[in-house]
Amino acid sequence: MGLLREPFSAKSISQRVATEGRGASGQEPSSGIPLRKFGRHEVKVSALGFGGHHLGDAENVQVAMRLVQEAVDNGITFFDNCWEYHVGKSEDWMGRGLKGRRDRVFLMTKVCTHGREAMLGMQMLEQSLRRLQTDHLDLWQIHGVSFENDPDLFIRPNGAAEALRKAKEQGKVRFVGFTGHKDPAIHLKMLETDFPFDAVQMPLNAFDAHFHSFTEQVLSEVNRRGMAALGMKPMSGHGDPIEQGELSAEEALRYAMSLPVTTTITGIDKPEILQQNLKIAQGFTPMTAEEMHGLRERTRQAAGDGRYELYKVSLKFDNPEARIAHNFPLDEQSAEVKEMLKATENTGHPFPDVKPPQP
Amino acid sequence: MENKKGFTRRGFVKASAAVVTASLVARPGLAARGYSQSGAMEGVPHRPLGKTGALVSCLGVGGYHLGSIKEEKESTELVARALDAGINFFDNCWEYHDGVSEERLGAALKGKRDKAFVMTKVCTHGRGKDVAMKQLEESLRRLQTDHVDLWQIHEVVYWNDPEMIFAPNGAAEALLAAKQQGKVRFVGFTGHKNPAIHLKMLAHDFPFDTVQMPLNALDATFRSFQKQVLPEAKKRGVAVLGMKSLGGSGEIAVNGAVTPEEGLRYAMSLPVATTISGMDSLVVLEQNLNVARGFKPFGEQEMAALRERVRPLAADGRYELFKTTTKYDGNVGREQHHYPPKEKLPA
Repeated sequence: MGLLREPFSAKSISQRVATEGRGASGQEPSSGIPLRKFGRHEVKVSALGFGGHHLGDAENVQVAMRLVQEAVDNGITFFDNCWEYHVGKSEDWMGRGLKGRRDRVFLMTKVCTHGREAMLGMQMLEQSLRRLQTDHLDLWQIHGVSFENDPDLFIRPNGAAEALRKAKEQGKVRFVGFTGHKDPAIHLKMLETDFPFDAVQMPLNAFDAHFHSFTEQVLSEVNRRGMAALGMKPMSGHGDPIEQGELSAEEALRYAMSLPVTTTITGIDKPEILQQNLKIAQGFTPMTAEEMHGLRERTRQAAGDGRYELYKVSLKFDNPEARIAHNFPLDEQSAEVKEMLKATENTGHPFPDVKPPQP
Repeated sequence: MENKKGFTRRGFVKASAAVVTASLVARPGLAARGYSQSGAMEGVPHRPLGKTGALVSCLGVGGYHLGSIKEEKESTELVARALDAGINFFDNCWEYHDGVSEERLGAALKGKRDKAFVMTKVCTHGRGKDVAMKQLEESLRRLQTDHVDLWQIHEVVYWNDPEMIFAPNGAAEALLAAKQQGKVRFVGFTGHKNPAIHLKMLAHDFPFDTVQMPLNALDATFRSFQKQVLPEAKKRGVAVLGMKSLGGSGEIAVNGAVTPEEGLRYAMSLPVATTISGMDSLVVLEQNLNVARGFKPFGEQEMAALRERVRPLAADGRYELFKTTTKYDGNVGREQHHYPPKEKLPA
């Protein structure tokens, strides 16, 4: 299969820029997953992205590594991750799976400052690079911009915006962006800071069209600014509407991929899910406007109260690190929190490898 | 008959600012309970309930917490002491503790029903008039009364609730029917989630007598009911009932943003008819009464200073979890809206 772009080993930023200029080969890979342009840049990424959170739910490290390897070998180039997913396990397993394949993928991870200082962000970056076994990221994003004051905290002096700038300067990350699942108004506030983001990630699915809609309020603004729009939660996060028979997995994923986005990130934790998603993405044909409209009509009623978008109306999808930073209660029954507590039971500090910034 | 007092919309504004003090002079039992050592026992002031003509105490007893008290003996005592101190406003709801809260209030008010202004709420959560009327009968039975003074639609917190409430045969029709049948004197609605949902409800131009909402010092800077809904309710002549003066479970005070006294005093200083406060012990009742007896509202400057002080803590909604999480959304409503129950989605 064709390489997306010339492999580069991150020797210098100038080399990287040169590589970017040449960008993707422009040919469709033999696998048939479409490649799309990454915003204003010439780089291309696969229209289906591999979600990092669910990778940490895989049965074991071997299964996880095989999932990553098969995904790469079948044409997925966009890999999502996050510093806090499963207390580092998601990054660690992805790093192992990508060994020998790093140059064939566009690797993204996220930083979990959640309003805290740039220095903390830089420490997290070093940790992410180590776990992912790489010297650079293709995309580094501010994770979980979920709280109304996050944009102010991001852009303030010594806020996380400075970490994004610095990491880019140091050649440790090629592009920067942010992500969040809570409220279109918060995304718009982030955009209003006029920070030069390369990418913006948001939940996009057939329910979102009717309820606190990112599709309606944010997507076109992101495209207008020449930023790469990254869709997530095509199946509402955990596939609830599919389980309830509101729509099929194929309809859900095809709908999300048919929106004007660079990629649609979806969680993959089992070989059968990988196969299902590959089948949809390989030889992908977008839905027609009529098909999309028809699906939206079907989802309209159930969309009205957010029952299938719990990330907008509850704390369920807000990770422990976000809650700690904002002093929101932890849900001690959640798997995330249990993992966190287990990982830190001997240290007394939630994340032992990162020193909290001194006030 | 309260209408004879002729409270106009403008009258409400003036009167609520002036605060009407209820006379407690002739009330027996106070001395026996040891409340009049100073000899100048002040009562809890009463205020007009919008343009209804009714007078309600500026502090109301929250019904949920009545059911949280372990021993019924204590909740009965709490209701009695509240009445003696001049509180007449009692809040409740069909779904609180599966009916226990209503039963306890009903038992505690036995023989004293006419001294109290009893409110309860109906929990259709999008279902129709029939469900509402059935719940009303159950509430009346549990409360041991033939009428409630105020009947409100409970927990309007889901974004599509307003359209379901005002759909043909929806809960709004039940409010009118119940009023017509004389089973309820006044009607209203309540919710804790988002000012926009309240405004959607008010935009229907339904003759609500009251609207209940969270009002506290932090609300002023975050998804603010005080800024967005309070003026609209005033404009429409709808009486405002405040709640969650300390965040619902004391979050605002426990975390040190305000003292319990400051928090309650701030809420009660707003142009509201009453501030409903959950009291799960006699100690909390006493603490609240210390603020409410002969209530002295904050001045505008003091209020502004308090808002300013808590602003940084208000900005992300960490202590107003009823707005930002599902923690305060009851299971009956969740079931109707196909949300996971509290056990599975605690927040």
